[in-house]
Amino acid sequence: MASLLITSENQIQRLNHIINKVKELQELETAQLTSPPHAKSWNVVEVIEHLNIAYGIYMPKLDEAFSKMPSLDAAPNEFKARTWQKIVIAGQRPKNGKRKWKMKTLKRFEPLLDKETLTQEKIDAVFENFFTRHAHLKEAILKSRNKDVKEVKITSAVGPIVNFYLPECFEFLLCHMERHMVQIDEILG
Amino acid sequence: MDEASFTQLKAFFPQVQFTTEEENHFRSLWSVKTFNQYDLITEAGNIERYFYFVLEGVQAIYILNEKGEKVVLGFSYSGSPSGAFDSFIKKQASDTFLEALKPSKMLAISYEDYQSLFEEHPAFYEWGHQFFQNILFGRLHREVELLTLSAEQRYKTFMQRCPDELKVIPQKYLASYLNMKPETFSRLRSCTSY
Repeated sequence: MASLLITSENQIQRLNHIINKVKELQELETAQLTSPPHAKSWNVVEVIEHLNIAYGIYMPKLDEAFSKMPSLDAAPNEFKARTWQKIVIAGQRPKNGKRKWKMKTLKRFEPLLDKETLTQEKIDAVFENFFTRHAHLKEAILKSRNKDVKEVKITSAVGPIVNFYLPECFEFLLCHMERHMVQIDEILG
Repeated sequence: MDEASFTQLKAFFPQVQFTTEEENHFRSLWSVKTFNQYDLITEAGNIERYFYFVLEGVQAIYILNEKGEKVVLGFSYSGSPSGAFDSFIKKQASDTFLEALKPSKMLAISYEDYQSLFEEHPAFYEWGHQFFQNILFGRLHREVELLTLSAEQRYKTFMQRCPDELKVIPQKYLASYLNMKPETFSRLRSCTSY
């Protein structure tokens, strides 16, 4: 398996792409955002809320990591993901616009939105939360460019079975988001 | 903006003569922006908000290839324009990054104010004519160099014409601009005189 070289610039470009896409989604009719294609599927708002929950778990972990991370007086460099982390990341990354394998969402990541009372106000709040949280992610990627990222590891949201250096964590989050962008395309048909 | 900076800026628009009132207005349209080394001035995926004039520092404009590697398209430096111009004019997400390779001080003008220059002073069209002609010739020249010269020739030609402040940026950016591997650039630097 080829090595996975991660650069912050590539991550920023992809994150900007996702944020632009979600801004476009925000413009869609409420009915499109709240109707799932079938009873078992999430609707678009639920997918966005799921991403909010996922990043919400990483946000404090990242803040804490930065508080311990020394600055680096050098040009930002590429980062080689470790083997196990690379496999975990590959599990999320969609390939050719397809989600490679379906996975069951753990309870703690379930978007608990009441579909009956999903008002415009609540939908707006979900989107606003997405933009705030992912602006935090953008800031985190930018900040990491002149930090010694090899100094601190964080535990993944699924527990100590996976730990991440920051570039690996960002890559995991981005692939997870890209996976759900594919899901949104499927929902919208 | 201090006097020296404004003098530099005015020299960039030699075709335009202002009355005192016009000059004050022109000056008020520009704001000073400072960037640390390695700051991303413009990110791919965002819309470029400014046309820049560089007071200090060196910046690289680059695109990421399929492998995610930086491919340097050009540099800006003291006295030159800067910015992701296509994104600025088209108001579309930029394909390119603009990164400060040295601490940078730049003057910035917004899209609306940039357009107003042309509307309010026809002399800016004269400037534009000259400016875009120079840009086009520069790009054509570079295309010919890239397609016809050997790596060593590209290295020599570039080193002869590039300003000194560009010679001290990280080698990998120069190597990429000249479409060669950093190792090739390093070898040429150690054994080629220009």
